[in-house]
Amino acid sequence: MKLILKTGTWVLAAALLFASCSPDAKKDLGAPRSNIESLAGTWKLTKATQVDEDAARKGFPYKEMDITSLFPYTNFVLTLNLNSGAPGTFTTTPGTSPKIIKLTSGSWTVDNIEYPKDITLTSGLITEKVTLGGYPVGPYNTLKLKAERKDASTGKLLITYTYEFAKQ
Amino acid sequence: MKKLLSLLLLITAGLAVKAQNPTFSPSTFTAEDQVTLTFDVTGTGMAGATEAFIWLWGNAGDSPLNSSWTNSPDAAKMTAAGTNKWKFTFTATVMWGLPPAALTNFRFLVKKRDGSAQTPDQGPFFFDPLVFVPTMLRVFPAKVGADDVVTVNFDKTYGVTTNEQRMTPVSATITVFDETGVQVGSPLTLATRSIAPTIWAATFIPSASFTPGAGHKLAKFKYKFNGTILDPSGATVTVSSSETEVIFTTMQ
Repeated sequence: MKLILKTGTWVLAAALLFASCSPDAKKDLGAPRSNIESLAGTWKLTKATQVDEDAARKGFPYKEMDITSLFPYTNFVLTLNLNSGAPGTFTTTPGTSPKIIKLTSGSWTVDNIEYPKDITLTSGLITEKVTLGGYPVGPYNTLKLKAERKDASTGKLLITYTYEFAKQ
Repeated sequence: MKKLLSLLLLITAGLAVKAQNPTFSPSTFTAEDQVTLTFDVTGTGMAGATEAFIWLWGNAGDSPLNSSWTNSPDAAKMTAAGTNKWKFTFTATVMWGLPPAALTNFRFLVKKRDGSAQTPDQGPFFFDPLVFVPTMLRVFPAKVGADDVVTVNFDKTYGVTTNEQRMTPVSATITVFDETGVQVGSPLTLATRSIAPTIWAATFIPSASFTPGAGHKLAKFKYKFNGTILDPSGATVTVSSSETEVIFTTMQ
C-alpha cells in the first residue's frame, strides 16, 4: 500500500512538473518566411569585391581585391519589384558607377521561386544572370549578388565579382 | 556594283587575314596541358603547300622536333585544317621532357620538310604558370576581359634596370589595340596608388576608357609605369619601366 502511495505521489509530481512547463498560450508563428519577398525593394550597392578564381584555385597570393573605392560603385541602385508575390520588373540606376548590370529596366525571373539562386534579368532579347550569395532575411539584411566571368572558349571560371547591397 | 562587291570582298579578306592567328584550343593552357595550335599560312611562303611541318622552340631551347632543318621528322608533321590552315597538338612537358617550372613560353614556325619554304617566327606564347612567380609588372586578375576591372601593378623589388629599382611610380600609361593591331584612341595615363612599401597600382576598365572603331573590338593592351629618380647631380629625372602586353580573354 505504501509503495502504491509512494509511486502515485511521484507520478503526480512529475505530471504537475511537466504541465507547469507548458506555456499559457502558444504564440502565432506568423506566415512562413518568403525568400522571394525578401529580395523585393530598392537596394543600394555598399561593397564590390573581385576574386581571381584561377589564382584562388592555385593558391597564389593576390586572390581577392576590394574594388569598392576604386570606382563610384556605391552610386549603383537596383530595384526589384514583385508582381503578386512573384518576380516582376526591375530597374537599375548606375549614376556614375560602373554598370555592373548593363540592363536599365525589364523583368526578372528566378530559377526556383521558394529557394532562388539564380536571378535572370531580361530586357527584350537581352538577358543577364546574377547569382544570389544569400537571402536578406532576419539579421542578414544584406543582398549579395555574384557575377561570374568565364573563359568563352573553355567555360573555365576566371573571375567572380561579389556585390553587397543595403536596403533603402 | 560588281566593283563595289569585289572591293568589299577584298576588305573582308584583308580583315580575315589580320584576324587572330594562330589560335589555340584551349585558349589558355599550362605547360602540362595538351594544346592544339591552328595556324593560317595564307600570305606566307607556305601558302599552297601540300604538307607542313612545325619547327618548335621556346625558353627551354629547341624541341626534339627540330632535329634537322632540311629533313623534319614525321613527328613534326602538321594536320590539314582547311585551305592553308594547319594544326598541331602537343603537351609541352612531354615534348621537352621538362617539369612545368622550366617552361615559360614557346615559339614556332611552319615549314616544308626540306626547309625550302617557311613562315615567319610566331610568338612567344606563354604557358599559364602553375606556381606563382613574382614579377615587376603584374595584372590583377591574371586573365581579364575588356569589360573587367583591371589593376596593373609595379613591384620595384623585381625591377631589372637600375631606373626600375630606384623609381617612384607616379603614373601608368595604358595603350589599347584592336584585333587588327591598330591602336584604339590615345594612351590613358592613370595616377598610381601605393598598396605596399614597394608596390604601386593603377586600375581601369578598358571598355569604359576605350571605344574601338565600328566592327572592331578591344583585343589587347600594353602598360608601363612612369616615375622619377634623382640623377647624380640631385636633379629629378622622369623615367619609365619596360612595357608589357596583355591579351584580353574573351569572356562569357
